[in-house]
Amino acid sequence: MGFNRACVIRMPDTAHQIICRCEDVTEEEVLRAIAQGAVTADEVKRLTRAGMGHCQGRTCRRLVNQLLARRLGQRPADQKPVTQRSPLQPVSLKVLADSNQ
Amino acid sequence: MANTSDIIIIGGGIAGTATGYYLAKAGLQVALFDKGFLCSGSTGRCIGGVRQQFTSESSIKLMMRSVELFAGMDEELGTEVHWHPGGYLFLAHDEQKKQAFLDNIRIQQAAGLKDVRWVDAAEAREIVPLLDTAGLLGGSYCPTDGQAYPFAVVNGYAQMIRKLGGRVHAFSEVGGIISAGGAATGIRLASGEEHHAPVVVNCAGPWAAEVGALAGIEVPVEAERHEALITEGVEYLGIPMLVDYRADGGYFQQFRHNGQFIGCYSPSPRVPGHSAGSTFEFLTDMPRRMLKLVPALAEVKVVRQWAGSYEVTPDGNPVLDRTELAGFYVLGGMCGHGFMLGPAMGQAMAAFVRSGAKEPPYPEFALRRQFGRAEAMK
Repeated sequence: MGFNRACVIRMPDTAHQIICRCEDVTEEEVLRAIAQGAVTADEVKRLTRAGMGHCQGRTCRRLVNQLLARRLGQRPADQKPVTQRSPLQPVSLKVLADSNQ
Repeated sequence: MANTSDIIIIGGGIAGTATGYYLAKAGLQVALFDKGFLCSGSTGRCIGGVRQQFTSESSIKLMMRSVELFAGMDEELGTEVHWHPGGYLFLAHDEQKKQAFLDNIRIQQAAGLKDVRWVDAAEAREIVPLLDTAGLLGGSYCPTDGQAYPFAVVNGYAQMIRKLGGRVHAFSEVGGIISAGGAATGIRLASGEEHHAPVVVNCAGPWAAEVGALAGIEVPVEAERHEALITEGVEYLGIPMLVDYRADGGYFQQFRHNGQFIGCYSPSPRVPGHSAGSTFEFLTDMPRRMLKLVPALAEVKVVRQWAGSYEVTPDGNPVLDRTELAGFYVLGGMCGHGFMLGPAMGQAMAAFVRSGAKEPPYPEFALRRQFGRAEAMK
């Protein structure tokens, strides 16, 4: 579960593989954060911005956890998920302000 | 012995990592501990503003020093901290506030901050063409105030501590202070593991009182919840940090490096305690307050809200001192200014520790001072 990428074709050079599409974070950058001592997705997020963009980690959350699992031998079941923060999708200042009563 | 060092620092935010860096740079063996990950407390939840506009001479001078340090930080730490002197503009909508700002500007200029000046409403509009100046008398403007990226600064300091031979331990909660003969000799982690050093520095931010209590030392710092939000990145508009002290005002700025707007306001009534919970009230009220000042941002989207703690002292000034337990120091109580004060305060703390002096360098930041005159530009 999550330890091997279920892909038929493996890229020989994964250094420029995008992990977080919103913030353009590459696999290499996530691995560098792990090499610097990050052991949680929370730390990877703060060091690389993976998960801080428009979709708030919907795509990269699992990928980051897979990289942590693979590098550090973590079991996915033991990984602490990053905090989900509202609004869960981007909302304009105007719509929010108009909701304030 | 692997668990022995010259200095133990409790807290991996700006105060702890800056202090640790300057001590490590002076050749001392530093061991730093945080109960979570680096930047998991107040520093990582702040909005990254850096200003010199204070009303105590020491704070103004320390902040001028911090600005110098931020400006040279990329080179010093070998990492990009996104320092940008985008300025701060404090807005005055009534005569009383205007007079207070004019008085403050005199104090600031006398302390050496020559860049700060009063701007009238017309000039404020020139600085921020998108600003709604209805009812605005003017503002206190300092173009050399600015912004930086907290995670990069703290990580930069932590990496340097490691590079200089120190150790940084995340997820290592301190459960006890060890002492012998009236002097601190180390710490005991919650796991039971002991680490020894003749100097222990409490840089625990909103938990400074709890860490002090481990040694029976009272630290007059209380956590207080403040909420914040951040938008998507849009084209950089050159808007300085806008500070509106009115009851339904707030403060926000745009990051130069990625175009995101980030902001918060001081809740009324206060919300004491360690809660990091977010509210719908803030999520809708902060945008209203932002659009009141800059209506053109209406379509900019909020991507995230969160909360963090201010570390509040009775007079709004920080604490930098030794304690009644020899070798046990405290740097904290930054009252919402920890990120900006951190570099200069960390440097000052390191110098104080190394000097071995009895009296702290800033009497108004002494641990056992009379908490009388308050910082006016909170």
